[in-house]
Amino acid sequence: MLKKRIIPKFLLRNGRLVKYVRFFEQEREAGNPISTARVYNDYGVDEFIILDIAANEDSRRGVLESIAEMSEQIFMPFTVGGGVRTLGQINDLLRAGADKVSLNTQAVREPNFVKTAAQTFGDQCLTVSIDYKEFARGVFRVFTDGGRKKTPHEPVEWALRMQDMNCGEILITPIDRDGTLSGYDIDMVVRLSEALDIPLVVSGGCGGLQHCIDAFNAGASAVGISSLFLFTDHSPIKLRSHLVSNGINVRASTSSRN
Amino acid sequence: MTKVAIIDYGRGNVRSVANAVEYCGVDAAVTADAQIIDDATHIILPGVGAFGDAMIALRARGLPDVLYRQVFEKGKPFLGVCLGMQLLADRSAEHGDHVGLGWISGDVIRLEPGPDALKIPHMGWNDISVTRPHALMARLRSEQLNFYFVHSHHFRVDDPEAVIAVCGHGAPFVAVVGKDNLVAAQFHPEKSQDSGIEILENFIAWTP
Repeated sequence: MLKKRIIPKFLLRNGRLVKYVRFFEQEREAGNPISTARVYNDYGVDEFIILDIAANEDSRRGVLESIAEMSEQIFMPFTVGGGVRTLGQINDLLRAGADKVSLNTQAVREPNFVKTAAQTFGDQCLTVSIDYKEFARGVFRVFTDGGRKKTPHEPVEWALRMQDMNCGEILITPIDRDGTLSGYDIDMVVRLSEALDIPLVVSGGCGGLQHCIDAFNAGASAVGISSLFLFTDHSPIKLRSHLVSNGINVRASTSSRN
Repeated sequence: MTKVAIIDYGRGNVRSVANAVEYCGVDAAVTADAQIIDDATHIILPGVGAFGDAMIALRARGLPDVLYRQVFEKGKPFLGVCLGMQLLADRSAEHGDHVGLGWISGDVIRLEPGPDALKIPHMGWNDISVTRPHALMARLRSEQLNFYFVHSHHFRVDDPEAVIAVCGHGAPFVAVVGKDNLVAAQFHPEKSQDSGIEILENFIAWTP
């Protein structure tokens, strides 16, 4: 049976691993992405998500170099995104060693771009990343441009539209939970996982082992984690053994280190 | 000396396959060049993109004939990965109806979500069961038999004797298939950590 996935999510700014609270507050340096990825690789996580939040020319080149270096040593899937606007950029990332490319702002600007990209590179290598906020009670809107710009789109409707554009996976991040360790947005996980036919990766707010169990029980295919691993004493090993003992079907470790 | 040609038909993440092969300690060339392919001892056809598009890209580079000679006349060990496995089929129903290489008889059809409304693509790590001993699966312990998959279609193989391992996502499907010096995996060994590296080491050591 297909395993539930544990995916560290890295934000990169100019080659460094960084982390914020609610996208903009309390910037913290979190180390060198390559050495951190190597440690997680030894811990046997299931994939990596790497998002370039600077997304300027320099940062983009740095990300390509980092991906190329990581894929020389780490043999598991990478999803890479941040500021991706063109088919050429997708091709560059895939050729550098990315397996999936994440689209966000460009998908909103030009929804058909997702379809074109899926036809060119294969459905399974396009992830659409959806950042959203609850700006009035029960009213949710998708945000683009790194959480700066509100759109008229409702997240579930938007996710379904992106599924129709043949993306292979949806990644969600509720902006107000990001970095707060207050738990995933379980109501949204339930709504999305019931609505979607494609896998759902949930991120934003994971602060404890129980939060991951809640997300999987709500229908998530994978959990995206950053603060929990970067800033608490929880490791992927501890998370995995906790999930196994709670009946969640995750990959059993085969490494002697686990 | 062992040298692996990784067939480059212009798209996707072929670098990772080369990295994983080099990690196994042998030379890898990412190439579409007939001479370099001829110089290689082993051939890997990686899996990128969609079926119809991939066949067009292979034909545009004259690769079906080049590969045919290497595989059927020279008998070189050949490994297909993901779409590179599906391309061995007679045909595929992915976004239309496309003719494949036809080297292992069968067709490629879409995975079905079934009564449990399973998510498709089948994306992530899953266990496989080996149904017939093969050099590709040598020395892998049962707890190592899980691999990274990402696909929406699967290869329905005509000859049950060609099946080496199966996996399940709802209904069972073929995870590894092989015939003579051809072998192919639906999963990505280059993305399957230690288990995948062992598969590649087995392929490199294989003398069919």
